[in-house]
Amino acid sequence: MWHRTKDYLLVLPALVLTGVLFFGGLIDGLFKSFGYFPAVGTSTFSLQAYQEVMTSSLFADSLDLTVRVAILSTSSATILGVGAALALYFMARRTSARWLLRLFQLPLTIPHLAAGYFMILLLSQSGLIARVSYALGWIDMPSEFPVVVNDRFGLGMILTYSWKEAPFIALLVYPVLARIHDNWLDAAKVYGATTTHYIWHVLLPAIRPAVITASLIVFIYTLSSFEVPYLLGVTYPSTLPVYAFQLYTSGSFADRSEALVIMWLLTTVALVVGLVAYRFYRKSYERGWE
Amino acid sequence: MRRSSFYLLLIGLIFALPFVPALIASFGGVWRFPTIIPDGINLRAWESVFSPSSRTLSAIFLSLWIAFCVTVINLMVGIPAAYALTRKKLRFQSGIEAVLLAPIFVPALAAVMGIHLTFLRLGLTETVIGVILVHLAPSMPYVIRAAMISFQTMNEEAEDAAKMLGATKSQRFYHVILPHLIPGLTAGVVLSMLISLSQYSVTLLIGAGQVITLPILFVPFLNGGDPAIGSAYTLVFSAVALALVLLLDGGLRSYYATRKGGCHEWI
Repeated sequence: MWHRTKDYLLVLPALVLTGVLFFGGLIDGLFKSFGYFPAVGTSTFSLQAYQEVMTSSLFADSLDLTVRVAILSTSSATILGVGAALALYFMARRTSARWLLRLFQLPLTIPHLAAGYFMILLLSQSGLIARVSYALGWIDMPSEFPVVVNDRFGLGMILTYSWKEAPFIALLVYPVLARIHDNWLDAAKVYGATTTHYIWHVLLPAIRPAVITASLIVFIYTLSSFEVPYLLGVTYPSTLPVYAFQLYTSGSFADRSEALVIMWLLTTVALVVGLVAYRFYRKSYERGWE
Repeated sequence: MRRSSFYLLLIGLIFALPFVPALIASFGGVWRFPTIIPDGINLRAWESVFSPSSRTLSAIFLSLWIAFCVTVINLMVGIPAAYALTRKKLRFQSGIEAVLLAPIFVPALAAVMGIHLTFLRLGLTETVIGVILVHLAPSMPYVIRAAMISFQTMNEEAEDAAKMLGATKSQRFYHVILPHLIPGLTAGVVLSMLISLSQYSVTLLIGAGQVITLPILFVPFLNGGDPAIGSAYTLVFSAVALALVLLLDGGLRSYYATRKGGCHEWI
């Protein structure tokens, strides 16, 4: 009995820290989203904050922007990332791809705050590309350059996420491709398949679970992260995490409840999508390619 | 060969392109439209970023210190947990695993916003300890995951053999288990450090402007501030992250280069 208990003691510290700091925080927040603030004497539960949020046009606009940015960023990062992984796969057939893989890992180490600011310097109306356009005679003044960052559509965020997240997807997908035997392509060619056929009927089905896992992770991240929209967004509408942060720090307890309602909405979506991603992850591991 | 070097150049350019304006702006003094290349190098921004009154160095040090403490705690609780999850038969095994890995998917800000008032009451806001505590949840799953993968790929027979040859528990850990764990754990350590280093919103909420990490110090310069200074800061920030990765990676290589024989065949 004692050694069984000891096994549980090994996981206990990690469970306690995660339980208190993470789940404790979420539950603490859930209570407060119902307006339960015993420290200031309100120990009743109400759905008022939920009603406020659901009927607010600020929330609707913010939701619209957030979902648009998340879907478009995920799609474009997935297409770029899978393309890059396929390019790596075909190049690795000829040369060693180790240094290329290393090069790919570099954007992953650049923090989102820095990546977002680099995009502003590159793409704003007085950014590097606008200056080059001026030098080439395409525009006569900064205001003629299209608004690409800090725009209402969210293009700046989408571009930043594409640049940052495409290598992430490529790095999750490439190891699956690397396990596919080299001679499969030759075998396929013997039977008259073109490279396009091979990609479409052999490579893509093989990497599907890994691609779905990776893009779901990117989707949750782009839906709920704060830094990039904070830098590259506009004052109105802001994405949900930025909107919630502003509501929370504005100070009143009613606003704080609303902020926590929004964070709980994001948490629920993240948990559901995360569960689906985890299923696909298990599936991609259970498939044996050897 | 020519085609692959073309691809290399293209990929390299796409990666490097966003850095170019930051380098130009930070070394260019005042970078007015429509100048592309400033006339001459001007170190104004760099001097201001590294002047003693800017407190940049102490912010870098504090950021690294917080990331270091977070990572040490993650390793201390993560390695035993990963060991039990991969080697022992626990009831609710997949449940425990799901609980420990859940913070990967959920925005850290959600839990931190929820716990903020409790931290305030406990006097943990505006303290370094409070900030370390809120950096734990988003980073710990990566350390646990990395340690689990290492344990899964490790040959249990080596451990049994050491036991048979009379190695004590601590000898087995230091001479058999740890050398095998280190390469896999390095990935977890790098991620844990990077995640802590790049936190902004949760540090701002819990640190309340009193715990000045590098992002807290420089983000005000990014919102409509001087682009030269903003560029210099984001370059410093990227360089710290990059240096951390290269240092840990290089340290790992030299660790294995100096070890003779022994554990190589398992890696």
